[in-house]
Amino acid sequence: MFFVLPIVIVALYSFNVYSLFPGPHGFTFDAWRSFVHNHIYIRLFWKSVKMSLIVSAIIVALAYPLAYYLALSGTKRKYILLLLLIAPFLTSYLLRVLAWKVILGDQGVINSFLFWTGLRSPEHPLSQLLYSRFAVMLVLGYIWLPFVALPIFVSLESLDKRLLEAASDLGASRLRAFWAVTLPLSLPGVIAAFFFVFIPTLGEFVTPSLVGGTTGYMYGNQIVDLFGAGFPDWETGSVLALFLIIVVAVLTIVFSRFLQPQQVATD
Amino acid sequence: MDPALSRNGAWVLRGFFALVVVFLYAPIVILLIFSFNNSAVPSFPLSGFTLHWYHEFLVNGDLRAALATSAIIAALTSVGAVALGVLASIALVRSRFRGKALVSALLLSPLVIPYVVFGISLLLLFHTLGVSNGIPTVVIGHIVITLPYTILVLVPRLEQLDPALGEAAYDLGAGRLRTFWAITLPLILPAILSAFLIAFTTSFDEYAVASFVIGTRATFPIYLYSALRFPSQLPQVIAVAVVVLVVSLTVIVAAEVGRRWAERRVSLEV
Repeated sequence: MFFVLPIVIVALYSFNVYSLFPGPHGFTFDAWRSFVHNHIYIRLFWKSVKMSLIVSAIIVALAYPLAYYLALSGTKRKYILLLLLIAPFLTSYLLRVLAWKVILGDQGVINSFLFWTGLRSPEHPLSQLLYSRFAVMLVLGYIWLPFVALPIFVSLESLDKRLLEAASDLGASRLRAFWAVTLPLSLPGVIAAFFFVFIPTLGEFVTPSLVGGTTGYMYGNQIVDLFGAGFPDWETGSVLALFLIIVVAVLTIVFSRFLQPQQVATD
Repeated sequence: MDPALSRNGAWVLRGFFALVVVFLYAPIVILLIFSFNNSAVPSFPLSGFTLHWYHEFLVNGDLRAALATSAIIAALTSVGAVALGVLASIALVRSRFRGKALVSALLLSPLVIPYVVFGISLLLLFHTLGVSNGIPTVVIGHIVITLPYTILVLVPRLEQLDPALGEAAYDLGAGRLRTFWAITLPLILPAILSAFLIAFTTSFDEYAVASFVIGTRATFPIYLYSALRFPSQLPQVIAVAVVVLVVSLTVIVAAEVGRRWAERRVSLEV
């Protein structure tokens, strides 16, 4: 109830049935119309989609070999190694962002190390490190990488190894067996992993506001700013928020046949 | 011959795995190093060992108040989310009812909603209802967020239980409540503890939703977020960060080891 009701209220705000300002108002599509015609918001949304897509694709590609190693190399310590991999994800999110802020800043760990060793002069720090789109994507990737390995691991772990033996007995090389057997069978896990990063990073606002500067500004920041101090515009903000929910809901329905949340959570 | 991996392939993957682990832990180690560094700016070269920053945050009243607020919220949230989670999980596993698929989809949907959207939705709801923001409103938001995690931990455990155990207790004259206390609850206790822990840590660390509905108080993440904007506070924030990270890593490892041990024991007994 506390989940559905708030979203209904947002919808009502977006149609101006409710409003931050007192006075008479009725049901209108004005905010929606200006959202559709205002290219700033749509463009910002696409920028966020692109950033999230790139981050998700890269870390899924990085996580796959990790999960493969844990699930199929036959190592005895796989659950210990899995815990080692996941543990950072379970610690404080903000503190991991903080660590990168300390590392990437103009006076930060990387730059001061370069000055100290004389590889770069203090007048010319690597200033693109912090407050950039790169920083946002690096930190988001860092934060979500351990988590992504989990669903892929689960799908590889449940793979029947006899299938691989059969493929190899029938003369398939390891590479061929991977393309023909392992990869297709682990695809649901890969898609689930992708989805579980893509959705939260799409609505992200904490990381971009801390390390993104102006170029790393994302759709989520825009929503927050419309509700924040300064010039609040709850109506437009509600439209943006609702649009994001609709996109997420559609994606969830499309992806839901690949998602088996119980599998993901139990291990 | 191992059909999945050649010897060289395993070697390469092991190296890659080690590299990623280094990448994941290096920032944490860097924080650890600089928390003891005797300089107001965290940068090279290191300028000497000090415990000053740890002392600084221990005497920082605002910070301690924020930690206490977060602890209260996390405690209330985890108790609420686990209680509701147990009820919901039992309903989902044990009974059949119309619209079960819809109910479970709704219960799990907070997993995919962007927190920023949920945060402003709650803000608007409380604003419309005229409820003033504070600890209770954050707890409500956090229960909604953490409930799906508790369900995801509890449902698989409940599914493993043999329904015959409950039926046996029932046949022997125990009431439903008694059966729950004497049979079901002890058997799912390890899962309840993990659910409790997940809810607690999630709530303790949650920034987005809390920032919209906390009102004027500060939770620990909110304090951190604002402190990150003042460089003078950075060293002591790093010191707090180290303490929190070390404590949470220890709890995570201990909980996981404990859970495996307890579940093995329970499954042996049964």
